[in-house]
Amino acid sequence: MLSRIARGMYELGRCIERTENVTRILDVNHRMSLELNYFSDLDVWSPMLSITGSRELFDSLYDEVNEINVYDFLLLSEDNPRSMISSLNLAREHARGMRERISEEIWEHINRMHIEIQGVVLDEVINRGSNRFNRRIQLFCNAFNGFADNTMVHGEAWQFLRLGRYLERARMTARILGIKYYILLPDSDEVGRPLDLHQWQALLRSVSGYEAYRRLYRARISPGKVINLMLFDPRFPRSLSYCIRHVRDGLSGIGCHTDSQKTLFAQIATFHEELEEGNGDVVLDQGLRSYLEEINARCSDIHQQLTSGYLDPMIILDSFGHETPMGTQAQQQQQVHQ
Amino acid sequence: MESNTSLWPSYDAQSFFDEMLDESGKPRPHYRKLYAWLRRRNGEDMTDLQREADLSLLNQGVTFTVYSDARGTEKIFPFDLMPRLITASEWDKVEAGIKQRLTAMNMFLHDIYHEQNILKEQIIPTDLVVNSPYFCREMMHVDVPGGVYAHISGIDLIRDGNGELLVLEDNLRSPSGVSYVVENRWVMGRVMPDLLQQHRIRAVDHYPQMLFAALSSLARVENPNIAVLTPGTYNSAYFEHAFLANQMGAELVEGRDLLVDNDILYMQTTEGLVRVDVLYRRIDDEYLDPLTFRADSMLGVTGIMHAYRAGNLVLANAPGTGVADDKATYAYTPDIIRYYLNEEPIIPIVPTYLCRRPDELAYVLDHLEELVVKPTDASGGYGMLVGSHATKEQIIAFRQLIADNPEHYIAQPIQKLSTHPTLVEKDGHKVLQPRHVDLRPYAVCGSDGRISVLPGGLTRVALAEGQLVVNSSQGGGSKDTWVLYPEEGENHA
Repeated sequence: MLSRIARGMYELGRCIERTENVTRILDVNHRMSLELNYFSDLDVWSPMLSITGSRELFDSLYDEVNEINVYDFLLLSEDNPRSMISSLNLAREHARGMRERISEEIWEHINRMHIEIQGVVLDEVINRGSNRFNRRIQLFCNAFNGFADNTMVHGEAWQFLRLGRYLERARMTARILGIKYYILLPDSDEVGRPLDLHQWQALLRSVSGYEAYRRLYRARISPGKVINLMLFDPRFPRSLSYCIRHVRDGLSGIGCHTDSQKTLFAQIATFHEELEEGNGDVVLDQGLRSYLEEINARCSDIHQQLTSGYLDPMIILDSFGHETPMGTQAQQQQQVHQ
Repeated sequence: MESNTSLWPSYDAQSFFDEMLDESGKPRPHYRKLYAWLRRRNGEDMTDLQREADLSLLNQGVTFTVYSDARGTEKIFPFDLMPRLITASEWDKVEAGIKQRLTAMNMFLHDIYHEQNILKEQIIPTDLVVNSPYFCREMMHVDVPGGVYAHISGIDLIRDGNGELLVLEDNLRSPSGVSYVVENRWVMGRVMPDLLQQHRIRAVDHYPQMLFAALSSLARVENPNIAVLTPGTYNSAYFEHAFLANQMGAELVEGRDLLVDNDILYMQTTEGLVRVDVLYRRIDDEYLDPLTFRADSMLGVTGIMHAYRAGNLVLANAPGTGVADDKATYAYTPDIIRYYLNEEPIIPIVPTYLCRRPDELAYVLDHLEELVVKPTDASGGYGMLVGSHATKEQIIAFRQLIADNPEHYIAQPIQKLSTHPTLVEKDGHKVLQPRHVDLRPYAVCGSDGRISVLPGGLTRVALAEGQLVVNSSQGGGSKDTWVLYPEEGENHA
């Protein structure tokens, strides 16, 4: 299929996932800040900006880091290319360019949300409870995924949508886990005490993981097990392992034709195998922060290789499957002229 | 005049030639069955059918984008349920006339981009051709695949007050509308199957196959990769681009999907770069290649002209065909046909005054009220003056425009376009009223100059009362056009 269409589907999947994740990050922060009331001098909003990598942009737009401004910046600011509304607008833009490739239901679903969101004002969101608004967005995103999985042909276009969705989710799960470390560096005094447990619990709830944790582990909340659930548990649909398995399966559904595509697939398969062996306590011992940084780097690398291998290929594949890099013949010709 | 049905409350074609009814108000022989069918229907019946047809087109997404609407709202191209009928014998003439014209036009294009004999022999003024904004110097001495320049054409015909068919305009760049021909017939079959069954009508749904066959016959390889190049989803004809690509099994591409390497055109796919052998492009010459034409074009492909000139690509239509459908060239088309084919034109043209000729300019300036004035390089009904419908101020302003820049204008006597019964809203239901129509038959040209004309075409209808401009950009609609088989309703008397 055309790379442009593949890229559009991939980006559409990412946009929807990012839309949902912005609201999830805000949720976890909101919950944590409720627990932190008596630490009133603690700045809980700055870490949000570090996590989303947008501190500089934020400072150029607002005077002060506070709840209202951060909400405005992350939810409704069109100046922030990673805000919820920017992601949603971009998603609609991609969907519009691929009307023939997505189902009528998906188009209508996105278009309706797009119209609904244009009239939203921040005051209203805050007054009625940001939680309520975030729920609305999460409902939209999950319904989108439902429509995509149940009304689209599971061909190449759908596979690229899936790739975008799960790769973005993998990165975001790692990022949400990182919040804990930005908000309150693991203070040995606090580990295992009520405040610490409250925070882990808030974290779990933000990825719809609290009940899953209770059911799967039937144990009190321990950091090692939370990490197991969020990173390594193949049964939990927001875990890193689950996401990378879908990336691998998506890619195998699309097929690998060129050498770089085959290399990428092998790499993802290895990554997945490693995640299957992962253990939360070991990760904690060796340092969660550096582990999460490594995860993030690997996901970025997969994204880069997907782009160069599928979305912007510069390889000419002849009918015998032989590869010729672009421009080589032309260079030879030029040399003859010299 | 029949008045026992509310469909015909006051039908008066006045002095115009009406396609369905003769001077005495009786249906012409080939329209008798349709007329009889209509007599059994009333305004409410037709209102229901029209609503059903409109809904069907909307649901199918047979739409065009309205440029003036920032939100990109899509509307259906107004479709009138009353079909336009053409007899087999008249169609034979149309088909022969279009084949003749297109053959001559391709020879003309080959000549002016090679030896230029027609200019040397002063059949056409040299400056008129080489100074045309559509003349493309980059095409000089390029041998195009199969010698075909205009692969796809839509030549506009009108019928004058005497019932004679005339050529109004040649469209040899990228005429649009053929998807509506196919879709209109499909809707007619859904909404009024009984009426279709009563007639023996030639099919039109094979147009994509016709186009596919013509385009692939010009490629060097056995199973060529064909792609349709669209400016994108915001283009008003995007529906048609997607329709043709789907129906031909071709890839619908944008400029950013394509790249040229070593004089070969490729499209970027998830399996790597795949060679494109034939490109049916629906973007204008000037946007085609930023290296050769407009450097700021984001729609085209860098280096595509190199691939074309190297003979590695079939480009339909070829760049530079616009010089042949220029409205100033139009005045010379009968001479072009005589020069290359040694034949008289089968379908005549409308008498045309070239404002570049001093004596004709003087006549035009004195008679603006009776003339239609058109800029030589515009299409879609933009920038023209219909003298009889213009205000005094408009005429004064236009007189100045022409006097300042005479080479830019041509003028023609106002044509009494024929009328056709058309469904018009009146008091909450439909009635039939005469509305002016033209006819755009589509033709494709393949290897060895073999031309096929689609039996049918787009009948465009000006929906406003008295309006003579039928272009969709000026609020026109369309009708299904039925070319009848021989013996079907012909008057042998």
